[in-house]
Amino acid sequence: MRIISCFIVVLFFFNLTIVIGQKNKFDTLNFIPIYGSIPLKIDDAFYAFKDKDSIQFDELKFYISEVELINGNKLVWKEPNSYHLIDASNLKSLQIILNVPQNISFQKVKFSLGVDSIVNVSGVRGGDLDPTNGMYWAWQSGYINFKLEGKSNLCKTKNNEFSFHLGGYQYPFYVHKSVVLDFKKNSNTEIIIDLKKMMDYVDFAQQNHIMSPSNQAVLMYEKALEIFSNK
Amino acid sequence: MKRQYYILFIIIFICIAFVSIKKYHFVVPKSWPKPTYDFSQNPLTEDKIELGRVLFYDPILSKNNTISCASCHSQYTAFTHVDHALSHGIDDRIGNRNSPALMNLAWHNLFMWDGAINHLDLQALSPMSNPNEMGEKIEHVIIKLQKSKSYSFLFYKAFNDSLITGEHTLKAISQFMLTLISSNSKYDSVMQNLTQFTNQEKNGYRLFKQNCSSCHTEPLFTNVKFENNGLSLDTLLKDYGRMKVTKNPNDSLKFKVPSLRNIEFSYPYMHDGRFKKIGEVINHYTSGIINSKTLSNQLQKKIVLSSNEKVDLTAFLLTLTDKTFLFNPKYSYFKK
Repeated sequence: MRIISCFIVVLFFFNLTIVIGQKNKFDTLNFIPIYGSIPLKIDDAFYAFKDKDSIQFDELKFYISEVELINGNKLVWKEPNSYHLIDASNLKSLQIILNVPQNISFQKVKFSLGVDSIVNVSGVRGGDLDPTNGMYWAWQSGYINFKLEGKSNLCKTKNNEFSFHLGGYQYPFYVHKSVVLDFKKNSNTEIIIDLKKMMDYVDFAQQNHIMSPSNQAVLMYEKALEIFSNK
Repeated sequence: MKRQYYILFIIIFICIAFVSIKKYHFVVPKSWPKPTYDFSQNPLTEDKIELGRVLFYDPILSKNNTISCASCHSQYTAFTHVDHALSHGIDDRIGNRNSPALMNLAWHNLFMWDGAINHLDLQALSPMSNPNEMGEKIEHVIIKLQKSKSYSFLFYKAFNDSLITGEHTLKAISQFMLTLISSNSKYDSVMQNLTQFTNQEKNGYRLFKQNCSSCHTEPLFTNVKFENNGLSLDTLLKDYGRMKVTKNPNDSLKFKVPSLRNIEFSYPYMHDGRFKKIGEVINHYTSGIINSKTLSNQLQKKIVLSSNEKVDLTAFLLTLTDKTFLFNPKYSYFKK
């Protein structure tokens, strides 16, 4: 008798977890890198740049953090421990899976580009924040929030290379801002990353490299914020 | 009766689980301030410290496997690079600064002469990747470590995970560095009334408190701040110190105040190792100060010392030598 009652209790809890499990629905944020109207590839592909010139991308990596869902003006869900490294050359990383409860409806997705200052000053972290991901400055503490490297015939540099490593967690060179995008549908939200919006701003005759927190980094970061849209 | 056995068994099991993680008790020396390092984020254990110690002495961390942390931070000289004004790394490349001594690091918030590093756990990244020091990317270091069976074992022992990550590697090195505590010099014994200064040392201590201790504050013998101590700018190195990090002109020519503990063995002195002898350092403060906008407030008033007083001050500084630290077998080369 005792064994049977134990069995029933176990069965009850097992059932309960299934019910709770069903209530949870995975939502995903899908990042889609493009250049103008063309899908962006991190390889040898060349894209037209400012009419007659060309541009090529070797690396596009950035951090998405503090993902929040907003209904009207109200915050309805916040991802705990929200740090995601997006790497345009790694398809898996372009999809952020969020464990959002099913009953939540929202119209806006809010996220930050980069890593907050507290993480920047509190020692070494693992996972997406591990310094082996190439997104940590070694000679000076701090995360690189946004990294873009490539080549253009307009760059009068070695191998026509350009590289923009944007970061900084201390004023006046603080770069950590949020982006808010409207969404009508509740699930599988697609976020377009259009690099053309940023590159149209860049004047390669003036600058090819940003490697540390600076005024230039702050200005370039503002342009990086503009690449995100919901189609 | 049977139930009691069960309880006993559970208690023993829990005890074994705890004993298997050999915690390390970080002892704050008597009358020292609280350490600023947050141990809750990286709790010290014997196994992690041991792993950190192995890594500290292993040249695998450098690009061509020739330079270890200990190459420029040798125990017998308070973990600095003795005899080299500017420390050298792989392929005999010369850096642009004198390697700092490593001790009592749990009381420091910013590292390097210019404070470029904001946390001890991230400190080791900097020399690893500097092309004039170890010249290796941490990504490659991790790949090399992953290939080593003995490291898989040591990482498993330390972190219960044989997967070697950047986070665990850096935390282990940090743990070893945190154990490097120097608090057992003659000065410390005098403070604890276990022994006494000679008259000369006593006079030196008086002069020290009058002229030096505002920056080289006891008991760490540094205020862990950044100051311009009136050195002339080396026109070749053009090193403006802290300003490079903050890009703030008010930080021009400011460098981190080094601890004076074990000063007898940590020569040469200053960020570029320009002075070989303690006497040269003292002479700089009495007659070599170059005035500039950012000169430390503490040095605005001229320091006057007679030649006898300089000798007394030196005698006091030698009481900061801690042989139990310099020759502690717990800190020395450790074979995997």
